[in-house]
Amino acid sequence: MSENLVAFEHQLGKTSLSLPELLTQEAKEGIARQASFPTTRDEPWKYTRLARVAGLSVTPIAFNGAPTLLNGMETIDVIFEKGTWSCSTDVEGLTLQSANAISPEAWQACTTKGHVQHLNTLTAQGGVGITVAAGMSIQQPIRIIHRCSGERFALVLHHQIKVEDRAQVRIELIFEGEADQAYSNVLTDFFVGKEAQVHVDKWQNTQGNHYGFYNERIYQDRHSTFRMQTLTTNTHFTRNDVEVFSQGEAAHTQLYGAFFGRGQQLIDNHTYVHHMAPHGTSDENYKGVLWDKATGVFNGKVKVYQDAQKINAYQSNKNLLLSSAASMNAKPELEIYADDVKCSHGSTTGQLDAQALFYLQARGISKAKATEMLVGAFCAEVFEAVQSEYIQTAIAEQLTS
Amino acid sequence: MLEIKALHASINGNEILKGLNLTVKPGEVHAIMGPNGAGKSTLASVLAGKEDYEVTSGEIVFDGKDLLELSVEERAREGVFLAFQYPVEIPGVSNVNFLKTAMNEIREHRGLPALSAKEFLSLVKEKSALVELDATLASRAVNEGFSGGEKKRNEIFQMAMLEPKLAVLDETDSGLDIDALRIVAQGVNTLKTSDNATLVITHYQRLLDYIVPDYVHVLFDGKIVKTGGKELALELEEKGYDWIKS
Repeated sequence: MSENLVAFEHQLGKTSLSLPELLTQEAKEGIARQASFPTTRDEPWKYTRLARVAGLSVTPIAFNGAPTLLNGMETIDVIFEKGTWSCSTDVEGLTLQSANAISPEAWQACTTKGHVQHLNTLTAQGGVGITVAAGMSIQQPIRIIHRCSGERFALVLHHQIKVEDRAQVRIELIFEGEADQAYSNVLTDFFVGKEAQVHVDKWQNTQGNHYGFYNERIYQDRHSTFRMQTLTTNTHFTRNDVEVFSQGEAAHTQLYGAFFGRGQQLIDNHTYVHHMAPHGTSDENYKGVLWDKATGVFNGKVKVYQDAQKINAYQSNKNLLLSSAASMNAKPELEIYADDVKCSHGSTTGQLDAQALFYLQARGISKAKATEMLVGAFCAEVFEAVQSEYIQTAIAEQLTS
Repeated sequence: MLEIKALHASINGNEILKGLNLTVKPGEVHAIMGPNGAGKSTLASVLAGKEDYEVTSGEIVFDGKDLLELSVEERAREGVFLAFQYPVEIPGVSNVNFLKTAMNEIREHRGLPALSAKEFLSLVKEKSALVELDATLASRAVNEGFSGGEKKRNEIFQMAMLEPKLAVLDETDSGLDIDALRIVAQGVNTLKTSDNATLVITHYQRLLDYIVPDYVHVLFDGKIVKTGGKELALELEEKGYDWIKS
């Protein structure tokens, strides 16, 4: 077990990105200091075992060449498939490039924290850099599709999305394919300019024995809006870390999520919202539905800095357990250093309403169909926030299987 | 159509029904009356198949089938309809979606094709008018925010849509003002045919002014202790239930 993190990093190879020296140094030291994967004694990994991940033997997939150009019509696509990547051509106000081409100075987020980000910093093999120019509103949604199938691969990518002042964009982050004994580590940085508006729908649906680690870091300037819906279905192991730095005054953040676990699947959602400036608002709403022996985690942390007065932070996490062997671990964390703020959180975990189920069945609806209707109703607030038709249709199909 | 023989049922180990017998033929309206705790709602729940109740002995034959062998939804598909005493609010599930799903599952069971959206909507329009249910209620979540009267009218609206063979009305009159009572009763009467039957479970006689029964049964301590015509209901109204007990 000793030094298994160091060994794991070695098999992923060296990053093809040009990151600032300081950042890679920090990551190197971090890996050396930790040496081993965290265990359940480490607070951030309390409910999520990494022994299987540490034991993976994988080959990295590199996306070094120039992308195949696509002629997008209704959507602007960026597709990472095993071995190749393709990309729509630029439209007015939008620049797309390989993350490999981003200069060290342009990687603004000079931090790395925890083994997942350290590994990403040292070993990322590509990614996409997207810039939406100031004042521009991109009509078509941008879809970043990760479609990797196969066995024993490692997909380590670092995307950067810059939405300049007053710009507007809608993004879909899609993870699909069928994988075995594989590892993904995808880090996405969002820079949201003044009064900019960003809507992200994220769907994780990589099937098979796959271990997925997803980090989103969001840096919000004043009066900006960032909304993200995270939907997780059919995945063996998923860990999400969403960290928001609400740096500008009166920024609004919405983080919604719905996750569906079956079999022995594990879905771990960590969110961390830093309210660093006054008058900001954040709204978190996560719904979990677990069948069989599935495990869910929701750890939502909100930190309100001393100068961040008049903050309104709301967090809700509700879960449905549809089997007695399923388990849910919910942990809200509030750290408040300002004195004039409104922060509330609530979490419930329970079973389906037996009365409602009986009522539906008493009208001739099968138990399976009635359950599906009640699960749909339970997640309705999250589904309604999703704007991607592609994701909406796919999820509806999955829930009616 | 319905034959209940020596039915014993209990909940949490307490025996509620203690040898109930009842026969209902097509075209008939039966009223079951009785004091609180006699087992009226238990009978309704057992007929619908609520799992909380355990049938310890006896049998229920519905249209030649052993009803107790069927699941809740199978009973509904075979044509048993329970109008709930307390209709359940289901936030997030629209009334229309709920009913469409129910109708199509029942139609599939009966070997009929699914209704088109147009056919379904015209049925909704026709049947909701029957109980003077505001058509906009159909698009709201099931029973959510409905008044007591609206909930009961929604039950009869569903009954009209699903066209059951046997309708069991469990205390449908409770909580209704006289106008709502009249509307609900009118709905039930309009739906009556020579092929279907209605079991009206009620504490009070007043509903029976509007839905006139062919038979009135008095349920007391888990058994039917007296059966008569519609005049029996009036007698009960006048004398109360005490004279039955003695």
